Amino acid sequence: MSQTQIVPEAAAPRTWEPKVVAFLCNWCSYAGADLAGVSRIQYPPNIRIIRVPCSGRINPVFLLRALQSGADAVLVSGCHPGDCHYISGNLAARRKFTLFRDLLKYVGIEPERVQFTWVSASEGGRFASVVEKVVEQARKLGPNTKLVKRA
Amino acid sequence: MTASHEIETRLRETAERLLGEKKVDLFLGHEKASLPLRTTPLFLTVAADAARLAWNPFCSPNLAVYLPRLFRAPADAREAKTAPPRPTVGVVLKGCDARSVVALIQEHQLPRDKLVLVGIACPGMVDARKAERVLGLHEALGAGEDAHGNIRAVVEDGTEVTLRREQVLADVCLECRAPTPSICDIVLGAAVEPREAHVARRQAEELESRPADARWAHFQQMMSKCIRCNACRQACPMCYCKDCLLDQTRPRWVGAGTDFSDVAIYHLARAFHMAGRCTACGACARACPMGLDVRLLVRKLNLEVEDLYGYRPGEAVDATPPLSAFAMDDPQEFLTEP
Amino acid sequence: MTEKRIPQTDLDRLLARLRQRAAVYAPAEDGTGEVVLAALSGKESVTLEYRNFRLSPKALVLPQNQTLLCFKDGQAEEPRLPEGETILFGVRPCDARALLALDQVFLNGNPHDPYYARLRSGATVITLACARPMSSCFCTSVGGGPGDGTGADVLAVALAGDLLLRAETSKGEALLASLADLLSDATPAAVKEAQEQVRAAEDPMTPVKVDGSAERLRQAYDSPLWEAASRKCLGCGTCSFLCPTCHCFDITDEVRGGAGRRVRTWDCCAYPLFTLHASGHNPRPTPKERWRQRIMHKFRYAVENFDRLFCVGCGRCIRHCPASLDLRTVLKEVGA
Repeated sequence: MSQTQIVPEAAAPRTWEPKVVAFLCNWCSYAGADLAGVSRIQYPPNIRIIRVPCSGRINPVFLLRALQSGADAVLVSGCHPGDCHYISGNLAARRKFTLFRDLLKYVGIEPERVQFTWVSASEGGRFASVVEKVVEQARKLGPNTKLVKRA
Repeated sequence: MTASHEIETRLRETAERLLGEKKVDLFLGHEKASLPLRTTPLFLTVAADAARLAWNPFCSPNLAVYLPRLFRAPADAREAKTAPPRPTVGVVLKGCDARSVVALIQEHQLPRDKLVLVGIACPGMVDARKAERVLGLHEALGAGEDAHGNIRAVVEDGTEVTLRREQVLADVCLECRAPTPSICDIVLGAAVEPREAHVARRQAEELESRPADARWAHFQQMMSKCIRCNACRQACPMCYCKDCLLDQTRPRWVGAGTDFSDVAIYHLARAFHMAGRCTACGACARACPMGLDVRLLVRKLNLEVEDLYGYRPGEAVDATPPLSAFAMDDPQEFLTEP
Repeated sequence: MTEKRIPQTDLDRLLARLRQRAAVYAPAEDGTGEVVLAALSGKESVTLEYRNFRLSPKALVLPQNQTLLCFKDGQAEEPRLPEGETILFGVRPCDARALLALDQVFLNGNPHDPYYARLRSGATVITLACARPMSSCFCTSVGGGPGDGTGADVLAVALAGDLLLRAETSKGEALLASLADLLSDATPAAVKEAQEQVRAAEDPMTPVKVDGSAERLRQAYDSPLWEAASRKCLGCGTCSFLCPTCHCFDITDEVRGGAGRRVRTWDCCAYPLFTLHASGHNPRPTPKERWRQRIMHKFRYAVENFDRLFCVGCGRCIRHCPASLDLRTVLKEVGA
């Protein structure tokens, strides 16, 4: 759980940085991310957050769209099973996520490009760790070339 | 296996009786098409026309696709005032067609009590394009079934060519595990043995054994001829949404062109919407004008649904579709841990 | 315009010569046993053994998707139109005639379509006459024929071992002149043989009555036959996408942030959304209206507007329709 160094721009050469789009559920994961911010826990700035009411709201087409638009990886995060603000949204989502991830793997899209996690509102530090891991894995994979659509 | 012409005779008698006795207002079946190796759907309303019905190795179309629109609810109160009463519809169903009907009933697209289902266990249907490929530069001007279940085609110079049935059966039929209809009111003909259980699984496993980049290259190659005509979607009985997500313009989820990114997303999204619903009828692959293996993705998803949730679409009307349910112990292999 | 001749064994040389000056498309196997009009890179095995291609050559002058312009930060920029020539070798007479129908819409219409015009003017069409039409062919009934040179710059006829070539336009004459060292004059006997081959190819085609179709269709507008005929239609789009004269398109903007492009893509009148208005009203709400419109457009409106049928009898719609609808049946019912 190391803290990420922020390298001053002047010193660092411009290299490719992965773009990660994160879909966070409002009640747990988004609050968790907020807590990380309030607690001054650093996490990589590569992440762009989209707030959704519940992880059950995620239509896999959102994830495909994010990848098509140039995201190098996508993160979906919701409440822990049993703690969903809408009782069962995340439980319904589990089957979707399982099938969708397996479908992407089947066509040869690296599984590290579409990641899922449960982060609660009190897990600020854990959120930062997840983001670090996802960004690192995306950096190792390199730019997304398979689904991206050139403008 | 009962001979086709025997079933055909009984089918005609059944339809004539159902229409004559007004047990159905409309009877859907197949009839001879203008080109050989094919049939065309037949919408019967008059008992005397039942003689037009055909039952042969060319009855590939899945008639279930025509049913939802017959029962579509009126759009508004004004339409409801002038809408005719819902018809009672009789329809001929093979094993795969019947599974589509079960799935449609589960999703409340069809009223069970307004359907009279005539089920025929199916030994597999001919893929006209496969047969034409085998015939090469010859063209079949007529085709029929011989005593051994093979296809006898008469080509343009008058000679007869026998095509072994196994050689020209549709790919989806070669994987068929449920040739006997899972739902019907009237049964014609004897049951048919299902095919070997693992044809589809072996195909999927073979692809999975390749590295990721090779899988993507295969997917790209398979789908590169796609012209985005949407025939696969229009032919699919389970794609009955009036406003398809993939046609939406506000927002536009996927472009309409043949940029491979758009082709990939169209097929990935549509396949995903079929998870737990696709009844493996092959109408999509049949309709595709470019001859793509449209079932490439759903083949895998159907296996996943079966392995993970023990569910096969179209078996029982009172079963709960897997994506409409969840279990507390559903696997969570997809999770990333920090 | 004398007929020229080249042995078929020299075809590869001819195509290689053409490739020096243009992008050449010729019939070649695509690796799955199908013959397509392939862009030649020199590695393909060109063949003259085919009936017709699944996709019509319209894709080369009216691509499935085409960027019309790009925009960024409020500035629009037209894309550079493709330069250079293309030579289409092996187009069938029906498909060549179809290009003239497309010309009517995109060149003679208002507005004049510069995107189509560029691709079209850069294309030279070498038609290969048909020796063996299929049972779904009916070009002779709609004003064409298996040896028809309309729409071609050069008309080719394959005889045993030889290929006869005849210029049909000045463009074709110039093309053949540039190949003079590869060609010799065709003998009168060969010319006669070619004419007989064409005649023999016309014989087996079952005629379809289309004379007076415009008027008969006008009278049959409210006929119950449309409902009956269209019940089977899935609205799948196969017929329009494969049809060499169908040309309806949609234009959409693909935008991301402040930049994007305006794209034209093929559309199909059989799609339920084709005539959906922003208000939600749809003047063609069921397959009946859409199927009727398809036949009307090709056999009545085009005749009334352009004095030309928008059907060339290629039979692709009949052969590939998943519901096996056959517009010849409908025409017959209307004519009866």
